[in-house]
Amino acid sequence: MNKTLFLPIFVVCICLFFTGCIKNTDFDQAEDIALTPVVELDLIYFNLRAEQFFDSINSNPILTVRDTTDIKFLDDGTLQESLKRAEFYFNFTNSIPRSFQVDFQFLSEVNDTTYVTQTSVSQGTPNAPVISEFIENIEGDDILQLTKAHKVVVSVTIPSSDENLEGTLNLKSKTTYFLEY
Amino acid sequence: MQHYLTIILSLVGFFAISQNKQILYGFDDVPQSLMLNPGMKVTQKKHYGIPFLSQIHFNGGSSGVSVYDIFKDGSDNINDRITAKIFEMKNTDFFTATQQLELINFGWRAKNEIYFSGGIYQEFDFIAYFPRDLAILAWEGNRDYLDYEFDLGEISTTGDFMTVYHFGLNKQITDKLTVGARLKLYSSMFSYRSVNNAGTFVTTLGDENSENIYEHTVRNADVTVETSGYASLRELDGASQVTNEILGRAFFGGNFGVGVDLGFTYDFNEAWTLSASAQDVGAIFHSKDVENYRAHGNYTLDGINLIFPPLSQGESTFPYYDDLEDEIEREIPIDTLHNSYTQLRPVKFNAALSFGFGRFNASGDCDCLNMGGGKLHKQNVGLQFYSIFRPKGPQMAGTLFYHRRLTDYLSAKATYTVDSYSLSNVGLGVSADIGKINFYIAADNLIKYGNLAKAKSVSLQLGFNIIIDEE
Repeated sequence: MNKTLFLPIFVVCICLFFTGCIKNTDFDQAEDIALTPVVELDLIYFNLRAEQFFDSINSNPILTVRDTTDIKFLDDGTLQESLKRAEFYFNFTNSIPRSFQVDFQFLSEVNDTTYVTQTSVSQGTPNAPVISEFIENIEGDDILQLTKAHKVVVSVTIPSSDENLEGTLNLKSKTTYFLEY
Repeated sequence: MQHYLTIILSLVGFFAISQNKQILYGFDDVPQSLMLNPGMKVTQKKHYGIPFLSQIHFNGGSSGVSVYDIFKDGSDNINDRITAKIFEMKNTDFFTATQQLELINFGWRAKNEIYFSGGIYQEFDFIAYFPRDLAILAWEGNRDYLDYEFDLGEISTTGDFMTVYHFGLNKQITDKLTVGARLKLYSSMFSYRSVNNAGTFVTTLGDENSENIYEHTVRNADVTVETSGYASLRELDGASQVTNEILGRAFFGGNFGVGVDLGFTYDFNEAWTLSASAQDVGAIFHSKDVENYRAHGNYTLDGINLIFPPLSQGESTFPYYDDLEDEIEREIPIDTLHNSYTQLRPVKFNAALSFGFGRFNASGDCDCLNMGGGKLHKQNVGLQFYSIFRPKGPQMAGTLFYHRRLTDYLSAKATYTVDSYSLSNVGLGVSADIGKINFYIAADNLIKYGNLAKAKSVSLQLGFNIIIDEE
């Protein structure tokens, strides 16, 4: 390469260098970037035995049993903003020859009710357990209510019970969280 | 020529680089090339870098994605482009940033023909590998990835901010061989690393014997983050206090390290020359202000198990949620440790084979002034090789170069570099002497300067020196 050729190339390169720019891009698109993960997470599970519905000391039926747990992640600030939809899935396997009503009462930290839902469970037999499924889809304004919840009270109600009742009521549950950041 | 290129490409492989100063290496018109090979042939008698201006170096790169890939003006959705890129990129793709600023640089040839040089520079160096699995988990969630083991070991990142004090010797010991060495003292102002991590996270669908619908399992987790110079910053208030504290460590206030650079240049004959160097063979010993975090263990989450205990009036049930949190903290504890650790510097290796032709003769006639000194060629062409040791192994680059002395005050070097950022990286460096003032500028990826958004890496060095030539 001789000097006459080199210099023009050199000048062009220098020009390129000082005119370096960013083209055909639109950084406003950054506002449209949205992470939309869908997270599957176990929720609660239990195994209620038939004898838990009868007070053998006083020979009295216990028609409703109740338990409570914190679910502190729900009223966490980031989840409140990013949760768009939640789908609860409950799977009951019942080998007790009774049907049940199950109530889920979501409470805030100061015990105000924020969201309630309920379902019924078909009766089974110890030899032939029956599966009942329940799906609760929550979106829109209900999400605001749900994400104020700090704890959930689960109440299981049996229509009648006696000391000879056998079997178990099993629950498995999960939630699908549709998030958007 | 294309055949040669093919051979070089296949030899070099498609690895990536950072900290590569391929234009400056062997560019003997610029005194800072002595920083890349302490055993290069020094042409000047003395040099003084103009304080804070003798070398400003910046290099940023991402091997798998460019700004344009994500932000291009198009009708398709930006989120679709990000999704496509996340799946396209590998866990060996990485993001890097390096910045150096010379505070002082000087050198002189002593009576015993040894060229002494020394100085101080500040360096920031960062690399993060792309944690592909965690990116997928954050972007998509786990619903569509049941039974897929997300690899926690993909987390691999280091960052360093330090001052380097150096002093070197350079001597031509025979007609053919020049050697040099440089001793370096590192003063680390801030450092962190999270490497050699392990573990998986998987969500599996349970069967009828399972406690709940899913099992969320963290298996063999061992994730560490080591920091030095961080714990004391946490207690400070505001950016100005943090800045003052970090800068206060620049002058031997932080953690120390020691290292060497070694290099040589060997002339086979009039035309052919081989040179090679190793930089930063050394380590930093982090003992002051060290805080390390380690999370390790196994855990399977099934959800919350309600017991329905019989309760009297006013009695509260078990604290299921708090117990669950305690259990997770017990099974996968996050320990905070203060044990000191040694960090090897990323060793850089440079080599070049060059063919020179045409005797450089600035005055036009007899080269009387340069009879005794090194014979300078008017033009050089050759090959260069570069590698740097990084947490996931060496990254390499190959370069073809053309160096030409245009006049006694102007010379230029053009490079074509192959690395995993691109196969079309053309760089150009210019060194100009205006009186005793030397100015140089070197930049690569020039083809992409038309639209920098498309470049996966940019590298820039520039600076001012005072050079006193051999009389």
